[in-house]
Amino acid sequence: MRWIGVGTQQLDFAEFYRSAADDCLRAVLVSIGDQDTARELVDEAFARAWASWHTVSRHPAPKAWVVRTALNTGISRWRRRRREVPVSDPARITDVPAASGASASLVDPRIMAALLRLPARQRQVVGLRLILDLDTARTAEVLGIAPGTVMAHLGRAMAALRRDLEPELQQENRS
Amino acid sequence: MNDNELSAAVRESVADVHSATPVAQIISRGRCLRARRRIPAVAGTVTVAAGTALAVTTLLPTGHAGLLPSGHPGLVSSSHPDSQPASARLAAWTVAKEPNGDIDVTINQLEDPAGLQATLRADGLPVNVTFSGSMLSASCQPDQTGTLSAVTQIRGDELVIDPSALPSGAGLAIFDEPGAGTPVLSGTTPTLGTPPAPHPSIPPLLTAIDGPLAVGLVYVSPQCTG
Repeated sequence: MRWIGVGTQQLDFAEFYRSAADDCLRAVLVSIGDQDTARELVDEAFARAWASWHTVSRHPAPKAWVVRTALNTGISRWRRRRREVPVSDPARITDVPAASGASASLVDPRIMAALLRLPARQRQVVGLRLILDLDTARTAEVLGIAPGTVMAHLGRAMAALRRDLEPELQQENRS
Repeated sequence: MNDNELSAAVRESVADVHSATPVAQIISRGRCLRARRRIPAVAGTVTVAAGTALAVTTLLPTGHAGLLPSGHPGLVSSSHPDSQPASARLAAWTVAKEPNGDIDVTINQLEDPAGLQATLRADGLPVNVTFSGSMLSASCQPDQTGTLSAVTQIRGDELVIDPSALPSGAGLAIFDEPGAGTPVLSGTTPTLGTPPAPHPSIPPLLTAIDGPLAVGLVYVSPQCTG
């Protein structure tokens, strides 16, 4: 008897999920700044990946597909709810609220606050380039912008983060 | 602080964040999404199939309508092999006969194997379907000699079967395989002989979701494949 296991598709997806979930969650977290929302969006994006696994499994960068889907889902939700839920202006964020609960303590509050002060596009570039380790071309493709724009966003983001974080880190080192 | 140090600091700032959602929960949600996407297709199919059934009922002798008893839970419609392409859709599974003769089977939940078996047989496929965990009924004999070229594609939970590619005298067995990739033969009779080795290309399968499916060749017999 010859055997074919339909379950191998589930195995492939499960392996992909195990290997990619953390990276995707961190990239989305860096982009949007809220852990609970990031988890919700990434879970939804992975569910959509499974629903379209035939396509996603052949995608050249399935992690990028998941992150892009999560970000798009977040934007769609925001558009639906923007008249009901006030959205804070990231530029006015001066610090992350005091850690409450186990999940809040998982991120470095100073760096997260610095990230949240960046424009949204720069945070997305940071998430894709630094957390997901995508190259410039793939990042540009995922975000639908030119590679040169990706490099410019990353350069500005790094400069802003350095300005924000360097004094504190230097002070830490001295003490 | 150079770029590398800054990049490392950003990465380390979220390094303790881990996803905690079980993959089974993700897949379950994915199945809901997939089923939701099919709703418009089902609605269209109802219309097409209703017209097809009416035409078949009018043109063909009684008994060739191809419609299964309405007692099947969630069954919408079915098609006759000679009729225009139409499909039978069930919440747990979907059978669609393609214009080229291929049969597209999508199994979302391991429910109502008898209904699936009847629908596939009505589409001209000699088949035995069981989701009970036992590989085959006692009346089924595995065909060790043929090749399974009749199953032309596997996409997620979908099988595409080309009935014309079945070896002469062979049919298909579709069954739930709850044993980590190894066909489970407990409960079968000695007529099955030595348990076949699992296919070498199949790694251990998931067992936490609905239980993986497997497909194999069996010899055609009235008791096994109808």
